[in-house]
Amino acid sequence: MSLFGLNGILAQFNPLAPITSEPLFTFSLWRWDVTVSNHMFMIALAAAVLIIAVPMAVRRRKGVPGGFHSLIEAVCVFLRDEVARPILGSHADRYIGFIWTVFFFILTLNLLAMVPTEKFVTLVTGKKSHWGGAATANIWVTGAMAAVSFFMIHISGIREQGLRNYIVHFIPPVPWWMMPFIYFLELISAFVRPFALAIRLFANILAGHILLATIMGLIVLFKSFSVACVSLAVVVAMSFMELFVAFLQAYIFTFLTALFISFSVAPEH
Amino acid sequence: MIEQAGTAMTAASSSASTFAIFGAVISCAVIIIGAAYGIGSIGSRAVESIARQPEAGGRIFNSMVIAAALIEGVTFFALVICMLTVVWLR
Repeated sequence: MSLFGLNGILAQFNPLAPITSEPLFTFSLWRWDVTVSNHMFMIALAAAVLIIAVPMAVRRRKGVPGGFHSLIEAVCVFLRDEVARPILGSHADRYIGFIWTVFFFILTLNLLAMVPTEKFVTLVTGKKSHWGGAATANIWVTGAMAAVSFFMIHISGIREQGLRNYIVHFIPPVPWWMMPFIYFLELISAFVRPFALAIRLFANILAGHILLATIMGLIVLFKSFSVACVSLAVVVAMSFMELFVAFLQAYIFTFLTALFISFSVAPEH
Repeated sequence: MIEQAGTAMTAASSSASTFAIFGAVISCAVIIIGAAYGIGSIGSRAVESIARQPEAGGRIFNSMVIAAALIEGVTFFALVICMLTVVWLR
C-alpha cells in the first residue's frame, strides 16, 4: 500500500525524538550565532497560539459566548475562585494575571507535546524534519519557568513588605539557639521549592513520553503484527493518561506558585 | 540467544560500573515502594472520608490530588537522580 510514494517515511523516526533537543536553523545576532532548537520553536508556537487564539476567542461579538470562549472563561474563573482567592485572599487580583499565564502556557506546551507536529511536517515535505517536540520534557524550559516563579515570589514579597522586613520574616518563631539552623533551612527552601517545581513538571512529562516511546519501540523489537496491535492499544490508553497528566501538572505548578507567592506576600505568622 | 546473554553477562560483570547500575535500578524499585505506599494511603483515607461525608467530596478530592502530586514530585526527583547515575556511567 503506497501512500503517494511516502511508504515507510515515518518509520525512520527515533521514538524518543520529541524529547530530545534537535537544532533546526541558526541565525546570527550581532556577534553571536543563535541556534534555534525544536523546543524553542514549540515555545514560540505555544506563545503564538495563546497570544492570537485566546483574545480572538474571548472577544464577544454576540451576546452569548460560544464554545471556546466559555472554555477559557470557565478555566479562568476556576483558577480565580478555587486557587487564587482561597490562597492569596485580597492579593488575588494582583497576581491572577501571572497565575493565568503560567497555567495556560504550561497547559499549551504539555498538550502540544501530544501532537506529533514533526510527523505532519515530514508527511507534507517528504524529508525528515524535527519541527515539533515536547518542550516541557526539557529541564531548561521547566527550569526557566521555575526561575520566573522564583523571581515572582521573592520580588512580590519584597515589594509588599520592604526588603528589610522580607529578610526578617524568614526568621521562624523558635528559641534563639535553634534560630540559625532553621533560618538556614528557610533560606535553602527558598531555592529548593522552585527547583522541585521544575523537576516535578520535567520528570512527569519526560517519563510519560519515554513510556510511550518504549511501548512503540517494542514493535520494532518484535516485528510481529499481534505485538503491534497490543502495543497500539496500550499506547492509546497511555496517551489518555498523558493528557490527564498534562492538565494535572499544569494545575499543580500553578497552585504551588500561588501558594509560595502567598507565603511571601502574606506570611501566616 | 541464551549463550549470547551469558557471554554478555560474564563480560559485563568484570567492570565495576555494573554494580553502580545494579544499585541505581534497585534504588529505583525501593523509591517506587515508598511512593506507592504514600499515595495509596492518601487515596484510601480520602475515599474513607468521602464515604463518611459525601458533600465534602469535591474539597477532599482536590486535597488528595494536590498531596499525591507533591509526593510524586519528590519521587521523580529521586528517580531523576537514579537515571543520572546510569547516564553518567556511559
